[in-house]
Amino acid sequence: MIGPTEVLNTIWIGIIYMIIALPLTLSYKVTRIINFVHINFITIGAYVGVILFLLGVNSLLLVIPASFLFGAAIAVLNHFIAFSPLEKRGANPVILMIASLGLWIFYKYVVYAFLDLGQKVFRTNLFSVIPRATSLPDVSVGGYVLSGHFFAAILVAGVILGVLYLLLSKTSVGRAIRAVADNPTLAEISGIPKERVVSITWALCGGMAAVGGLLWAVFAIATPEVGDALILQIFAVSVIGGLESLLWTGIGAFIISGAENILMSLLNAVLGVPVSFRPFISFSALLLIILVKPPLGAGGGLPYRFKIVRHYKR
Amino acid sequence: MAESGKLGNPLKLAAALVLGLLLGIGAGYALFSGGQPATGPTGSPQLTPAPETVFKIGFTIPLSGELSSVGKLWEKAIYMAIEDLNEEVKAYGLNVRFEPVVLDDKTKEEDALKNVQSLNQLGIKIVVGPAASSQVKAVMNYAESNKMVIISPSSTAPTLAIPGDFVFRNTGSDALQAKALAALVSHEGFSNVVVFHRDDEYGRAFAEFFAKEFSALGGTATSMPYATGLSDYASEVAGLSSKVQELGADAVVLISFDTDGANILSHAKDDPVLSNTRWFSSEGIHGASELLQPEMANFLMRIKFLGTRPVFRENPLYKDFAERFKKETGDYPPVFTDKVYDAVFLAGWSILRAGEYDGEAIKKALPLVAEKFYGVSGWCILDENGDRLMQDYAIWGIAKSGDTFEFKDIGSWSAGALTMEEED
Amino acid sequence: MLGFDVIGFLISWLTLFGTYAILSMSLNLEIGFTGMADFGKVAFYGIGAYLAATITAFTFLFVNGIKCPLHSVEAIVALKECASKNPALNVSIFVLCILITFIITGAIGYLISYPTLRVGPAFLGITVLSFGELLRIFMRHFEPTGGTKGLAGIPHPLAWIPDPRLRDGIYAAIVLVVMLLTYLLSEKIANSPFGRLMRTVRDDEIATLCLGKHVPRIKAAVFFLASGLAGIAGVLLAYYLGSVNPDMFVPAVTFNVWAMVIFGGMGNNKGALIGSAIITFVDRISFVVNLLFPQAIISPDYIRWMIVGLLILITLLFKPQGLMPETPIKTLALTAVAEESGGEENA
Repeated sequence: MIGPTEVLNTIWIGIIYMIIALPLTLSYKVTRIINFVHINFITIGAYVGVILFLLGVNSLLLVIPASFLFGAAIAVLNHFIAFSPLEKRGANPVILMIASLGLWIFYKYVVYAFLDLGQKVFRTNLFSVIPRATSLPDVSVGGYVLSGHFFAAILVAGVILGVLYLLLSKTSVGRAIRAVADNPTLAEISGIPKERVVSITWALCGGMAAVGGLLWAVFAIATPEVGDALILQIFAVSVIGGLESLLWTGIGAFIISGAENILMSLLNAVLGVPVSFRPFISFSALLLIILVKPPLGAGGGLPYRFKIVRHYKR
Repeated sequence: MAESGKLGNPLKLAAALVLGLLLGIGAGYALFSGGQPATGPTGSPQLTPAPETVFKIGFTIPLSGELSSVGKLWEKAIYMAIEDLNEEVKAYGLNVRFEPVVLDDKTKEEDALKNVQSLNQLGIKIVVGPAASSQVKAVMNYAESNKMVIISPSSTAPTLAIPGDFVFRNTGSDALQAKALAALVSHEGFSNVVVFHRDDEYGRAFAEFFAKEFSALGGTATSMPYATGLSDYASEVAGLSSKVQELGADAVVLISFDTDGANILSHAKDDPVLSNTRWFSSEGIHGASELLQPEMANFLMRIKFLGTRPVFRENPLYKDFAERFKKETGDYPPVFTDKVYDAVFLAGWSILRAGEYDGEAIKKALPLVAEKFYGVSGWCILDENGDRLMQDYAIWGIAKSGDTFEFKDIGSWSAGALTMEEED
Repeated sequence: MLGFDVIGFLISWLTLFGTYAILSMSLNLEIGFTGMADFGKVAFYGIGAYLAATITAFTFLFVNGIKCPLHSVEAIVALKECASKNPALNVSIFVLCILITFIITGAIGYLISYPTLRVGPAFLGITVLSFGELLRIFMRHFEPTGGTKGLAGIPHPLAWIPDPRLRDGIYAAIVLVVMLLTYLLSEKIANSPFGRLMRTVRDDEIATLCLGKHVPRIKAAVFFLASGLAGIAGVLLAYYLGSVNPDMFVPAVTFNVWAMVIFGGMGNNKGALIGSAIITFVDRISFVVNLLFPQAIISPDYIRWMIVGLLILITLLFKPQGLMPETPIKTLALTAVAEESGGEENA
């Protein structure tokens, strides 16, 4: 049945999905690239946290910005060595997607190599580790333990949402980002420095995804494949937002999280559906939503009701 | 337009390609048949000075993917084993050297097959690995046709117990371990448990065996599988909590690997119901450094977390190996590391006993070598299916040692008898 | 590195290449010619493989009068024994599987096109991917085909040939023949009026509608064909591996195929061939990195895959349209003009 655990998990997981999916939607909106390196942002953010905690840096106030910076740096690096040169040579977004796939493989194994070295240095198993800031207290409410990281996650989510909202709606940078998302050519013509705007967007997106990765690792576990395991759900969340609407991406995060926790729990308790069906529930929820109410957002495309009406006989 | 000149008549090209390929295969077959390119001259090694013979042993282990945390440490054990094997062989006065060729199979079936093929193309006829049973199934046919001996140190699927094939498994069947675990749970006084297990062949088979053994001892076990390969199990643990409450179960039996197990336990410790239940486990989570973190270790000690794992009683070779491994890497040897270590020795000695670097000969030699071999994983004797015949089990838990925590063996199960050393 | 078995390498590479080339060409039909971004190719690949495995295992056990679950160890042992007894059975099952799989996976693809049309072109990919994942999770729980155990010991169509080298070689040749037939079929379709229709749908769907063409039916037909081809590739894979397992058919395989199609050049069947040839070749040959860098500080495998990832990026930087650009449709007129100008150049 639905108890506090399910609700708490829904909130926590929903927050993290949101923090990771919002940048995916944002980066797709602005650049139209399906970016595979998003997976690496998550993993790298998680491991920046792991390494810093191992080195004794115990304060989340330092670790979260560090993750953000690393993620942002990698994202901007990608832009300069891959996406920007390819775009200048006339590559279409599909080519850029495959370029990001190559980069994904590259970064994945760079992380593996780093961890291999790290294991020899730190003499502990880094391939499977849960980072914890031991300075954060746990709160125990009626037998349910709320770890201090939970509140930190809520705080971080609030900050991120606040900053994003203010940035995108009130500042000129935000307006420029929205302009490039709507119509890149027109934005360029009206004097917006598209290159700079895109770089800023990448930095934002990479950083956010990295922070999300760190929070996820704290909640679940950090492995070199943590990004790969998460990406399908994150993509599902972004698709609920139509890969365009940030609001619906946020809502979608809680829909998917709710489906995985609350709905799964209900089905298990009432209908005896084994919990090994959980991924089935997430994808069914996604399919249900996009079939019933297709988010026509970023894709544009045809009206989906297609009827041939014969007005006259031949 | 240039394209009309590029291909000409596609049908002609098709015919030419196929013909060329068949001719090439025929020519290659004629030239290369009559012996694979071997990596050493045939004939028994001499006790007199002669040029050093080098034998290659192939490895396909998961260095990335789901089992990477375990595979990475296996790699260390492999290099340790090769070093030790070479030393031992020299000590016997044999002028041979063994060289490893280690390939990463990403915990995937297709990659395991590709690795075995590459190893075969390098002329290697004996391979240690792959780790997962599904991978062994993917390489079985190829190994059979190309006469390559496969020694898997960790595959426990009952559906691979096939007699007379080229696949050998250095690890014992979980049927016996389930017996030990059932005995342990029953001994601790529980009769209504939930088995929280991986939804793959390993977990399902184990859960089935456990249920059978446990009901023979008068208890009831309810099985609860969870999907494998997911990034987090909070939702499943919540479901487990409800189920434990609903059934009024007093203990949970966990059948997992290290990564998912650590994740599950970290969620369980925050749950009011599960943090006050007794937990038991198989060998999958033993050695995971996550369990020795202060928060987790205190939790596990409080609930008296106990598990079984395959280790022979009073095996000083294992104790030495574990200490040495810990000193060199800073980590406990994870599951099956001792089996990997011994597999290297079995491979090496089988090559020497076979007298020639030939798959058929090695296949015949391996059971003979194994039946006299007692290594860090104990007695390696094989049954008629080429799987390990005998196994003892240790009962392990977490204990405090000074400032830190450690894994401690506090009992054993051998030939149906359970002995607990310290009752606390 | 003495003693490297070049012929064996070529055989194993060519078999892999053939299978992936068929998948690439089928994806090319969808994204290259019709502009349908399908992220769920692996679903039909898996259906094809499972159909082949199930039909073969079942028929062999049935014919030999053995009654046990397909996935059990008794079945595996029994299949091993009767695999080489009846050559006619092996070969006929093989041909039968290819035909049946083409029709069934094609039909499933046709049916899937209905919901995907509803979600619009942007989400076609994720919809098919979701269906694929749902199917995979379902198969993990479906006991008759083994669930997570999968099926093993599938009798190879050429199991009756005693010499493994010959057997593998002939199988590689068969795979290549199937691939060539797929290529010829794809070329025929691409250069036909229907091919023009496909490209129209890709370039401007609304214009196509305005011209009165039934766009959903075109897309459904393309889906039928492409899914059927993917199913055939699955059949070839099932016999190659000799075992099937639901976890083999994860989305990462689809992305691999995408890389081959884009790398080689979209909208061009030769591009699909070259893309799959190069990527499968690099994948197979990259293990030499392991031999060059013995395990010093980090596992050489990590360096190996880093190099592979970088190669993809670097090649794309040099060839941002993929390796082979799209060619115009070979209509009769165009061929005639080309021949004339070619003749004039030579004269």
